[in-house]
Amino acid sequence: MIELFHIWKQYQKAQWALQDITLQIKNGDFWFVTGPSGSGKTTLLKIIFRETLPTQGQIVIDGVNVLKIPDHRIYKLRRTMGIVFQDFRLLFHKKVFDNVAVALQVLGVPTKEIRRRVFNALRLVNIHHKMWEYPSRLSYGEQQRVAIARAVVNNPEIILADEPTGNLDPELGFEILSVFKEINKQGATVVIATHDRELIRHFGDKILFLQKGKLTGKDLQPSSTT
Amino acid sequence: MRNIFSITIICLSFLIVGVFLSLSNNLQHTAAELNRNLAVVFFLDRGLPDGERNALEQKIKASPFITGAVYISPEEALERFRKNFPELRDIVASLKANPFPPSFEATLRDQATRSGQIQEFLRRMAGEKGVEDIQFNRDWVDKMQSLSRMVRAIGFFLGGILVSASFFIISNVIRLNVLARKDEILILRLVGATNNFIRVPFLMEGTILGILGNLLSLLLIFFLIKLFPLYLGKSLGALQQIIAFRYLTTSQCLQLVAGGALIGFLGSLSSLSRFLKI
Repeated sequence: MIELFHIWKQYQKAQWALQDITLQIKNGDFWFVTGPSGSGKTTLLKIIFRETLPTQGQIVIDGVNVLKIPDHRIYKLRRTMGIVFQDFRLLFHKKVFDNVAVALQVLGVPTKEIRRRVFNALRLVNIHHKMWEYPSRLSYGEQQRVAIARAVVNNPEIILADEPTGNLDPELGFEILSVFKEINKQGATVVIATHDRELIRHFGDKILFLQKGKLTGKDLQPSSTT
Repeated sequence: MRNIFSITIICLSFLIVGVFLSLSNNLQHTAAELNRNLAVVFFLDRGLPDGERNALEQKIKASPFITGAVYISPEEALERFRKNFPELRDIVASLKANPFPPSFEATLRDQATRSGQIQEFLRRMAGEKGVEDIQFNRDWVDKMQSLSRMVRAIGFFLGGILVSASFFIISNVIRLNVLARKDEILILRLVGATNNFIRVPFLMEGTILGILGNLLSLLLIFFLIKLFPLYLGKSLGALQQIIAFRYLTTSQCLQLVAGGALIGFLGSLSSLSRFLKI
Protein backbone atom coordinates (compact mmCIF):
# COMPACT_ATOMS: atom_id res chain seq x y z
CA MET A 1 0.00 0.00 0.00
CA ILE A 2 1.17 3.50 -0.84
CA GLU A 3 0.14 6.10 1.73
CA LEU A 4 0.81 9.80 1.42
CA PHE A 5 0.19 12.02 4.45
CA HIS A 6 -0.05 15.77 3.99
CA ILE A 7 2.55 15.97 1.27
CA TRP A 8 3.71 19.46 0.30
CA LYS A 9 6.34 20.14 -2.31
CA GLN A 10 7.88 23.48 -3.11
CA TYR A 11 10.47 23.94 -5.87
CA GLN A 12 10.66 27.73 -5.72
CA LYS A 13 9.49 30.33 -3.22
CA ALA A 14 5.76 30.86 -3.24
CA GLN A 15 5.34 28.11 -5.82
CA TRP A 16 3.89 24.90 -4.50
CA ALA A 17 4.04 21.93 -6.84
CA LEU A 18 1.96 19.87 -4.39
CA GLN A 19 -0.23 21.10 -1.60
CA ASP A 20 -1.42 18.93 1.25
CA ILE A 21 -1.82 15.67 -0.63
CA THR A 22 -3.14 12.80 1.45
CA LEU A 23 -4.14 9.60 -0.24
CA GLN A 24 -4.02 5.87 -0.03
CA ILE A 25 -3.33 3.52 -2.93
CA LYS A 26 -4.05 -0.10 -2.01
CA ASN A 27 -2.07 -3.06 -3.31
CA GLY A 28 -3.33 -4.14 -6.68
CA ASP A 29 -5.07 -0.84 -7.42
CA PHE A 30 -5.01 0.77 -10.86
CA TRP A 31 -5.06 4.56 -10.62
CA PHE A 32 -4.92 7.37 -13.10
CA VAL A 33 -3.55 10.71 -11.94
CA THR A 34 -4.77 13.46 -14.18
CA GLY A 35 -4.83 17.22 -14.44
CA PRO A 36 -3.54 19.99 -16.69
CA SER A 37 0.15 20.52 -17.34
CA GLY A 38 1.91 21.77 -14.20
CA SER A 39 -0.69 20.34 -11.86
CA GLY A 40 1.85 18.20 -10.04
CA LYS A 41 1.34 14.75 -11.60
CA THR A 42 5.02 14.13 -12.32
CA THR A 43 6.05 15.53 -8.93
CA LEU A 44 3.69 13.14 -7.20
CA LEU A 45 5.24 10.16 -8.96
CA LYS A 46 8.76 11.42 -8.25
CA ILE A 47 7.98 11.62 -4.56
CA ILE A 48 6.63 8.07 -4.54
CA PHE A 49 9.85 6.62 -5.98
CA ARG A 50 11.92 9.14 -4.04
CA GLU A 51 13.62 10.90 -6.87
CA THR A 52 12.70 14.03 -4.98
CA LEU A 53 11.83 14.63 -1.35
CA PRO A 54 8.69 16.41 -0.21
CA THR A 55 9.04 19.72 1.59
CA GLN A 56 6.65 18.42 4.22
CA GLY A 57 4.70 15.29 4.88
CA GLN A 58 5.29 11.59 5.03
CA ILE A 59 5.07 8.71 2.63
CA VAL A 60 4.74 5.11 3.68
CA ILE A 61 4.96 2.17 1.29
CA ASP A 62 4.04 -1.25 2.68
CA GLY A 63 4.63 -0.02 6.20
CA VAL A 64 8.05 1.51 5.47
CA ASN A 65 8.55 5.24 5.88
CA VAL A 66 10.18 6.04 2.58
CA LEU A 67 11.67 9.32 3.76
CA LYS A 68 13.61 7.57 6.51
CA ILE A 69 15.33 5.11 4.18
CA PRO A 70 19.06 5.96 4.06
CA ASP A 71 20.43 6.82 0.60
CA HIS A 72 22.47 3.66 0.33
CA ARG A 73 19.35 1.51 0.90
CA ILE A 74 17.05 3.25 -1.57
CA TYR A 75 17.87 0.61 -4.15
CA LYS A 76 15.67 -1.87 -2.24
CA LEU A 77 12.62 0.36 -2.71
CA ARG A 78 13.40 1.00 -6.36
CA ARG A 79 13.73 -2.72 -7.10
CA THR A 80 10.08 -3.18 -6.22
CA MET A 81 9.09 -0.57 -8.78
CA GLY A 82 8.97 -0.21 -12.53
CA ILE A 83 9.11 3.39 -13.67
CA VAL A 84 8.22 4.83 -17.06
CA PHE A 85 9.50 8.36 -17.43
CA GLN A 86 8.01 11.05 -19.52
CA ASP A 87 11.42 11.58 -21.17
CA PHE A 88 12.01 7.79 -21.49
CA ARG A 89 15.56 8.03 -20.09
CA LEU A 90 16.99 5.49 -22.46
CA LEU A 91 20.71 5.02 -22.93
CA PHE A 92 21.36 5.94 -26.53
CA HIS A 93 24.81 4.41 -26.68
CA LYS A 94 23.35 1.01 -25.75
CA LYS A 95 21.08 -1.20 -27.82
CA VAL A 96 17.44 -1.79 -27.04
CA PHE A 97 18.24 -5.15 -25.51
CA ASP A 98 20.83 -3.65 -23.14
CA ASN A 99 18.52 -0.81 -22.17
CA VAL A 100 15.94 -3.29 -20.93
CA ALA A 101 18.45 -5.81 -19.57
CA VAL A 102 19.96 -3.29 -17.16
CA ALA A 103 16.92 -3.64 -14.89
CA LEU A 104 17.75 -7.32 -14.48
CA GLN A 105 21.54 -6.98 -14.41
CA VAL A 106 21.38 -4.91 -11.24
CA LEU A 107 19.48 -7.79 -9.64
CA GLY A 108 22.18 -10.26 -10.55
CA VAL A 109 19.90 -12.32 -12.81
CA PRO A 110 21.86 -14.91 -14.86
CA THR A 111 22.56 -13.99 -18.47
CA LYS A 112 20.41 -16.74 -19.99
CA GLU A 113 17.46 -15.71 -17.88
CA ILE A 114 18.03 -12.06 -18.79
CA ARG A 115 17.84 -12.92 -22.50
CA ARG A 116 14.58 -14.75 -22.07
CA ARG A 117 12.89 -12.14 -19.91
CA VAL A 118 14.05 -9.19 -21.98
CA PHE A 119 12.73 -10.82 -25.14
CA ASN A 120 9.39 -11.49 -23.47
CA ALA A 121 9.10 -7.94 -22.17
CA LEU A 122 9.88 -6.50 -25.60
CA ARG A 123 7.39 -8.85 -27.21
CA LEU A 124 4.75 -7.71 -24.73
CA VAL A 125 5.03 -4.19 -26.12
CA ASN A 126 5.58 -5.43 -29.66
CA ILE A 127 9.10 -4.07 -30.17
CA HIS A 128 11.04 -7.34 -29.95
CA HIS A 129 11.92 -7.19 -33.67
CA LYS A 130 14.07 -4.14 -32.94
CA MET A 131 15.93 -5.70 -30.04
CA TRP A 132 19.38 -5.10 -31.52
CA GLU A 133 18.80 -1.56 -32.72
CA TYR A 134 20.03 1.58 -31.05
CA PRO A 135 17.30 3.82 -29.62
CA SER A 136 18.34 6.66 -31.92
CA ARG A 137 17.08 4.59 -34.83
CA LEU A 138 13.64 4.16 -33.30
CA SER A 139 10.64 6.46 -33.51
CA TYR A 140 9.44 8.26 -30.40
CA GLY A 141 6.67 5.75 -29.96
CA GLU A 142 9.07 2.85 -30.27
CA GLN A 143 11.42 4.38 -27.74
CA GLN A 144 8.52 4.74 -25.36
CA ARG A 145 7.71 1.07 -25.73
CA VAL A 146 11.30 0.20 -24.89
CA ALA A 147 10.99 2.33 -21.75
CA ILE A 148 7.82 0.45 -20.83
CA ALA A 149 9.51 -2.91 -21.43
CA ARG A 150 12.30 -1.89 -19.03
CA ALA A 151 9.72 -0.93 -16.42
CA VAL A 152 7.90 -4.27 -16.54
CA VAL A 153 10.76 -6.71 -17.17
CA ASN A 154 11.54 -7.30 -13.49
CA ASN A 155 7.86 -8.02 -12.57
CA PRO A 156 7.60 -5.08 -10.21
CA GLU A 157 5.07 -4.76 -7.41
CA ILE A 158 4.41 -1.13 -8.29
CA ILE A 159 4.41 0.48 -11.73
CA LEU A 160 4.59 4.25 -12.01
CA ALA A 161 4.15 5.61 -15.49
CA ASP A 162 4.37 9.25 -16.49
CA GLU A 163 2.52 9.83 -19.76
CA PRO A 164 3.29 6.32 -21.08
CA THR A 165 1.15 6.77 -24.16
CA GLY A 166 2.04 10.38 -24.83
CA ASN A 167 3.74 9.73 -28.16
CA LEU A 168 1.76 6.75 -29.29
CA ASP A 169 -1.11 6.62 -31.72
CA PRO A 170 -4.46 5.85 -30.05
CA GLU A 171 -4.44 2.22 -31.13
CA LEU A 172 -1.01 1.59 -29.73
CA GLY A 173 -1.86 3.62 -26.65
CA PHE A 174 -4.79 1.32 -25.97
CA GLU A 175 -2.55 -1.66 -26.53
CA ILE A 176 -0.04 -0.39 -23.98
CA LEU A 177 -2.75 0.28 -21.43
CA SER A 178 -3.97 -3.24 -21.95
CA VAL A 179 -0.47 -4.42 -21.09
CA PHE A 180 -0.59 -2.41 -17.88
CA LYS A 181 -4.02 -3.80 -17.12
CA GLU A 182 -2.75 -7.31 -17.63
CA ILE A 183 0.17 -6.69 -15.28
CA ASN A 184 -2.28 -5.18 -12.82
CA LYS A 185 -4.39 -8.33 -12.94
CA GLN A 186 -1.29 -10.25 -11.88
CA GLY A 187 -1.17 -8.18 -8.74
CA ALA A 188 0.96 -5.13 -9.47
CA THR A 189 -0.21 -1.71 -8.30
CA VAL A 190 -0.30 0.67 -11.25
CA VAL A 191 -0.31 4.47 -11.11
CA ILE A 192 -0.42 6.31 -14.42
CA ALA A 193 -0.08 10.04 -14.81
CA THR A 194 -1.81 11.19 -17.96
CA HIS A 195 -4.02 13.86 -19.39
CA ASP A 196 -5.33 11.57 -22.12
CA ARG A 197 -9.07 11.72 -21.42
CA GLU A 198 -9.92 9.06 -23.94
CA LEU A 199 -7.73 6.56 -22.16
CA ILE A 200 -9.13 7.52 -18.79
CA ARG A 201 -12.64 7.25 -20.09
CA HIS A 202 -11.94 3.84 -21.52
CA PHE A 203 -9.75 2.33 -18.81
CA GLY A 204 -10.13 4.40 -15.71
CA ASP A 205 -11.70 2.96 -12.58
CA LYS A 206 -9.82 5.05 -10.04
CA ILE A 207 -8.87 8.60 -10.92
CA LEU A 208 -7.11 11.34 -8.96
CA PHE A 209 -7.61 14.88 -10.14
CA LEU A 210 -4.86 17.40 -9.51
CA GLN A 211 -5.14 21.11 -10.04
CA LYS A 212 -2.25 23.47 -9.21
CA GLY A 213 -0.80 20.91 -6.83
CA LYS A 214 -4.03 20.24 -4.99
CA LEU A 215 -6.10 17.10 -4.99
CA THR A 216 -9.42 18.33 -6.29
CA GLY A 217 -11.19 15.01 -6.57
CA LYS A 218 -11.17 11.26 -6.71
CA ASP A 219 -13.33 9.29 -9.00
CA LEU A 220 -14.10 5.66 -8.63
CA GLN A 221 -15.97 4.43 -11.63
CA PRO A 222 -16.52 1.06 -13.16
CA SER A 223 -14.07 0.40 -15.93
CA SER A 224 -15.67 0.54 -19.36
CA THR A 225 -13.18 -1.96 -20.77
CA THR A 226 -12.56 -5.65 -20.25
CA MET B 1 42.19 10.63 -24.58
CA ARG B 2 41.69 11.36 -20.90
CA ASN B 3 42.84 7.88 -20.01
CA ILE B 4 45.96 8.18 -22.16
CA PHE B 5 46.80 11.42 -20.38
CA SER B 6 46.39 9.75 -16.97
CA ILE B 7 48.52 6.78 -17.95
CA THR B 8 51.24 9.14 -19.23
CA ILE B 9 51.35 11.14 -16.02
CA ILE B 10 51.43 8.01 -13.85
CA CYS B 11 54.15 6.59 -16.09
CA LEU B 12 56.29 9.70 -15.71
CA SER B 13 55.74 9.82 -11.95
CA PHE B 14 56.81 6.26 -11.38
CA LEU B 15 59.57 6.58 -13.97
CA ILE B 16 61.20 9.21 -11.74
CA VAL B 17 60.89 6.95 -8.73
CA GLY B 18 62.14 3.97 -10.72
CA VAL B 19 65.14 5.84 -12.17
CA PHE B 20 66.29 6.98 -8.76
CA LEU B 21 65.69 3.52 -7.34
CA SER B 22 67.76 2.07 -10.14
CA LEU B 23 70.59 4.56 -9.47
CA SER B 24 70.36 3.81 -5.79
CA ASN B 25 70.48 0.06 -6.48
CA ASN B 26 73.70 0.56 -8.38
CA LEU B 27 75.24 2.61 -5.59
CA GLN B 28 74.19 -0.03 -3.08
CA HIS B 29 75.72 -2.68 -5.25
CA THR B 30 78.95 -0.73 -5.60
CA ALA B 31 79.05 -0.17 -1.86
CA ALA B 32 78.48 -3.88 -1.28
CA GLU B 33 81.30 -4.75 -3.67
CA LEU B 34 83.63 -2.34 -1.90
CA ASN B 35 82.56 -3.76 1.42
CA ARG B 36 83.34 -7.30 0.25
CA ASN B 37 86.80 -6.23 -0.88
CA LEU B 38 87.66 -3.93 1.91
CA ALA B 39 91.24 -2.96 1.76
CA VAL B 40 93.69 -0.66 3.38
CA VAL B 41 96.39 0.88 1.23
CA PHE B 42 99.63 1.80 2.97
CA PHE B 43 101.42 4.33 0.78
CA LEU B 44 105.16 4.18 1.38
CA ASP B 45 107.92 6.75 1.14
CA ARG B 46 109.77 6.72 -2.18
CA GLY B 47 113.21 5.16 -2.07
CA LEU B 48 112.46 3.13 1.04
CA PRO B 49 115.19 0.53 1.48
CA ASP B 50 114.15 -3.08 0.96
CA GLY B 51 114.90 -3.98 4.56
CA GLU B 52 112.62 -1.32 5.99
CA ARG B 53 110.00 -2.21 3.46
CA ASN B 54 110.11 -5.86 4.47
CA ALA B 55 109.87 -4.92 8.14
CA LEU B 56 106.76 -2.87 7.45
CA GLU B 57 105.27 -5.78 5.49
CA GLN B 58 105.84 -8.09 8.47
CA LYS B 59 104.17 -5.63 10.86
CA ILE B 60 101.16 -5.30 8.56
CA LYS B 61 100.77 -9.04 8.05
CA ALA B 62 101.18 -9.67 11.76
CA SER B 63 98.06 -7.65 12.54
CA PRO B 64 95.01 -9.80 13.48
CA PHE B 65 92.87 -7.54 11.28
CA ILE B 66 94.80 -8.26 8.10
CA THR B 67 94.38 -11.43 6.01
CA GLY B 68 97.10 -10.60 3.50
CA ALA B 69 99.17 -7.82 1.98
CA VAL B 70 100.56 -7.33 -1.52
CA TYR B 71 103.36 -4.97 -2.52
CA ILE B 72 102.49 -2.71 -5.48
CA SER B 73 105.47 -0.99 -7.08
CA PRO B 74 105.16 2.48 -8.67
CA GLU B 75 105.45 0.93 -12.12
CA GLU B 76 102.68 -1.55 -11.38
CA ALA B 77 100.50 1.27 -10.03
CA LEU B 78 101.04 3.34 -13.19
CA GLU B 79 100.19 0.39 -15.42
CA ARG B 80 97.02 -0.24 -13.43
CA PHE B 81 96.01 3.42 -13.80
CA ARG B 82 96.51 3.21 -17.57
CA LYS B 83 94.23 0.19 -17.77
CA ASN B 84 91.47 1.64 -15.55
CA PHE B 85 91.41 5.10 -17.09
CA PRO B 86 92.25 4.70 -20.77
CA GLU B 87 90.68 8.06 -21.56
CA LEU B 88 93.44 9.72 -19.54
CA ARG B 89 96.34 8.02 -21.34
CA ASP B 90 97.41 11.28 -22.98
CA ILE B 91 97.87 12.86 -19.57
CA VAL B 92 99.78 9.84 -18.38
CA ALA B 93 102.06 9.94 -21.46
CA SER B 94 102.87 13.57 -20.85
CA LEU B 95 104.08 12.96 -17.29
CA LYS B 96 107.81 13.36 -16.82
CA ALA B 97 107.93 11.25 -13.67
CA ASN B 98 105.81 8.45 -12.25
CA PRO B 99 103.51 10.09 -9.66
CA PHE B 100 102.51 6.85 -7.97
CA PRO B 101 104.31 5.87 -4.75
CA PRO B 102 104.97 2.28 -3.73
CA SER B 103 102.29 0.77 -1.55
CA PHE B 104 101.06 -2.24 0.32
CA GLU B 105 97.45 -3.26 -0.36
CA ALA B 106 96.15 -5.18 2.60
CA THR B 107 92.85 -7.08 2.73
CA LEU B 108 90.88 -7.06 5.93
CA ARG B 109 89.03 -9.67 7.90
CA ASP B 110 85.26 -9.12 7.84
CA GLN B 111 85.10 -8.56 11.59
CA ALA B 112 87.75 -5.88 11.31
CA THR B 113 85.40 -3.53 9.54
CA ARG B 114 83.12 -3.45 12.50
CA SER B 115 85.84 -3.24 15.08
CA GLY B 116 86.84 0.11 16.46
CA GLN B 117 90.30 -1.30 17.12
CA ILE B 118 91.20 -1.22 13.42
CA GLN B 119 91.31 2.56 13.65
CA GLU B 120 93.78 2.31 16.53
CA PHE B 121 95.96 -0.06 14.44
CA LEU B 122 95.87 2.29 11.47
CA ARG B 123 96.79 5.24 13.65
CA ARG B 124 99.83 3.35 14.93
CA MET B 125 100.87 2.34 11.43
CA ALA B 126 100.51 5.93 10.23
CA GLY B 127 103.24 6.86 12.69
CA GLU B 128 105.63 4.13 11.47
CA LYS B 129 108.77 5.18 9.62
CA GLY B 130 108.32 4.65 5.88
CA VAL B 131 104.54 5.06 5.83
CA GLU B 132 103.60 8.20 3.95
CA ASP B 133 99.82 7.82 4.01
CA ILE B 134 97.06 5.29 4.69
CA GLN B 135 93.86 4.96 2.72
CA PHE B 136 91.05 2.90 4.21
CA ASN B 137 88.18 2.44 1.71
CA ARG B 138 85.69 1.90 4.52
CA ASP B 139 85.17 5.64 4.15
CA TRP B 140 84.21 5.11 0.55
CA VAL B 141 81.77 2.42 1.54
CA ASP B 142 80.14 4.74 4.05
CA LYS B 143 80.06 7.54 1.50
CA MET B 144 78.60 5.26 -1.15
CA GLN B 145 75.90 4.00 1.18
CA SER B 146 75.13 7.50 2.28
CA LEU B 147 74.92 8.62 -1.35
CA SER B 148 72.68 5.69 -2.13
CA ARG B 149 70.32 6.62 0.68
CA MET B 150 70.31 10.23 -0.46
CA VAL B 151 69.59 9.29 -4.08
CA ARG B 152 66.77 7.05 -2.94
CA ALA B 153 65.37 9.82 -0.72
CA ILE B 154 65.52 12.33 -3.57
CA GLY B 155 63.82 9.84 -5.84
CA PHE B 156 61.02 9.24 -3.38
CA PHE B 157 60.66 12.96 -2.69
CA LEU B 158 60.40 13.93 -6.36
CA GLY B 159 58.43 10.84 -7.17
CA GLY B 160 56.15 11.52 -4.23
CA ILE B 161 55.32 14.96 -5.59
CA LEU B 162 54.54 13.53 -9.00
CA VAL B 163 52.61 10.60 -7.58
CA SER B 164 50.47 13.06 -5.61
CA ALA B 165 49.82 14.87 -8.87
CA SER B 166 48.86 11.53 -10.43
CA PHE B 167 46.35 10.98 -7.64
CA PHE B 168 44.58 14.24 -8.43
CA ILE B 169 44.75 13.66 -12.15
CA ILE B 170 43.19 10.21 -11.86
CA SER B 171 40.60 11.63 -9.51
CA ASN B 172 39.67 14.24 -12.09
CA VAL B 173 39.70 11.80 -14.97
CA ILE B 174 37.31 9.54 -13.09
CA ARG B 175 35.19 12.56 -12.23
CA LEU B 176 34.97 13.44 -15.92
CA ASN B 177 34.10 9.84 -16.73
CA VAL B 178 31.41 9.94 -14.05
CA LEU B 179 30.02 13.14 -15.56
CA ALA B 180 30.10 11.62 -19.01
CA ARG B 181 28.10 8.66 -17.72
CA LYS B 182 25.79 10.50 -15.38
CA ASP B 183 22.70 9.53 -17.38
CA GLU B 184 23.64 5.90 -17.16
CA ILE B 185 24.34 6.23 -13.45
CA LEU B 186 20.97 7.87 -12.92
CA ILE B 187 19.20 5.03 -14.73
CA LEU B 188 21.13 2.48 -12.71
CA ARG B 189 20.04 4.16 -9.48
CA LEU B 190 16.45 4.32 -10.62
CA VAL B 191 16.28 0.63 -11.52
CA GLY B 192 17.70 -0.33 -8.11
CA ALA B 193 21.45 -0.68 -8.55
CA THR B 194 23.42 -0.75 -5.32
CA ASN B 195 26.17 1.79 -4.74
CA ASN B 196 28.78 -0.90 -5.25
CA PHE B 197 27.27 -1.92 -8.59
CA ILE B 198 27.77 1.66 -9.74
CA ARG B 199 31.09 2.19 -7.99
CA VAL B 200 33.04 -0.95 -8.90
CA PRO B 201 33.54 -0.26 -12.64
CA PHE B 202 34.99 3.18 -11.86
CA LEU B 203 37.25 1.79 -9.14
CA MET B 204 38.49 -0.86 -11.54
CA GLU B 205 39.07 1.77 -14.18
CA GLY B 206 41.23 3.85 -11.84
CA THR B 207 43.18 0.82 -10.64
CA ILE B 208 43.83 -0.33 -14.19
CA LEU B 209 45.03 3.14 -15.17
CA GLY B 210 47.48 3.02 -12.27
CA ILE B 211 48.75 -0.41 -13.21
CA LEU B 212 49.11 0.40 -16.91
CA GLY B 213 50.98 3.63 -16.18
CA ASN B 214 53.31 1.72 -13.93
CA LEU B 215 53.96 -1.11 -16.35
CA LEU B 216 54.80 1.47 -18.98
CA SER B 217 57.26 3.13 -16.60
CA LEU B 218 58.95 -0.21 -15.91
CA LEU B 219 59.27 -0.80 -19.64
CA LEU B 220 60.88 2.61 -20.09
CA ILE B 221 63.27 1.95 -17.21
CA PHE B 222 64.23 -1.35 -18.85
CA PHE B 223 65.08 0.46 -22.09
CA LEU B 224 66.93 3.17 -20.21
CA ILE B 225 69.11 0.57 -18.49
CA LYS B 226 69.79 -1.09 -21.82
CA LEU B 227 70.54 2.06 -23.79
CA PHE B 228 72.30 4.27 -21.24
CA PRO B 229 75.65 2.42 -21.29
CA LEU B 230 75.60 2.41 -25.09
CA TYR B 231 74.99 6.09 -25.60
CA LEU B 232 76.05 7.95 -22.49
CA GLY B 233 77.88 5.54 -20.24
CA LYS B 234 81.27 5.74 -21.98
CA SER B 235 81.40 9.52 -21.84
CA LEU B 236 81.28 9.35 -18.06
CA GLY B 237 84.58 7.48 -17.91
CA ALA B 238 85.47 6.46 -14.39
CA LEU B 239 82.14 7.71 -13.07
CA GLN B 240 80.41 5.06 -15.13
CA GLN B 241 80.50 2.70 -12.20
CA ILE B 242 78.76 5.15 -9.93
CA ILE B 243 76.34 6.83 -12.32
CA ALA B 244 74.84 3.71 -13.75
CA PHE B 245 71.51 2.02 -13.63
CA ARG B 246 70.85 -1.36 -12.15
CA TYR B 247 67.73 -3.41 -12.82
CA LEU B 248 65.06 -3.11 -10.19
CA THR B 249 64.51 -6.19 -8.10
CA THR B 250 61.32 -8.21 -8.56
CA SER B 251 60.19 -6.99 -5.17
CA GLN B 252 60.73 -3.35 -6.16
CA CYS B 253 58.86 -3.86 -9.44
CA LEU B 254 55.92 -5.44 -7.65
CA GLN B 255 55.89 -2.66 -5.08
CA LEU B 256 55.85 -0.01 -7.80
CA VAL B 257 53.01 -1.73 -9.64
CA ALA B 258 51.10 -2.12 -6.38
CA GLY B 259 51.76 1.54 -5.66
CA GLY B 260 50.36 2.50 -9.04
CA ALA B 261 47.29 0.36 -8.52
CA LEU B 262 46.76 1.91 -5.09
CA ILE B 263 47.06 5.45 -6.40
CA GLY B 264 44.59 4.65 -9.15
CA PHE B 265 42.17 3.03 -6.73
CA LEU B 266 42.37 5.84 -4.18
CA GLY B 267 42.04 8.49 -6.87
CA SER B 268 38.84 6.85 -8.09
CA LEU B 269 37.49 6.37 -4.60
CA SER B 270 38.11 9.99 -3.76
CA SER B 271 36.36 11.12 -6.91
CA LEU B 272 33.35 8.88 -6.32
CA SER B 273 33.00 10.05 -2.74
CA ARG B 274 33.14 13.70 -3.68
CA PHE B 275 31.20 13.80 -6.93
CA LEU B 276 28.95 10.78 -6.87
CA LYS B 277 28.55 10.86 -3.10
CA ILE B 278 28.70 7.08 -2.91
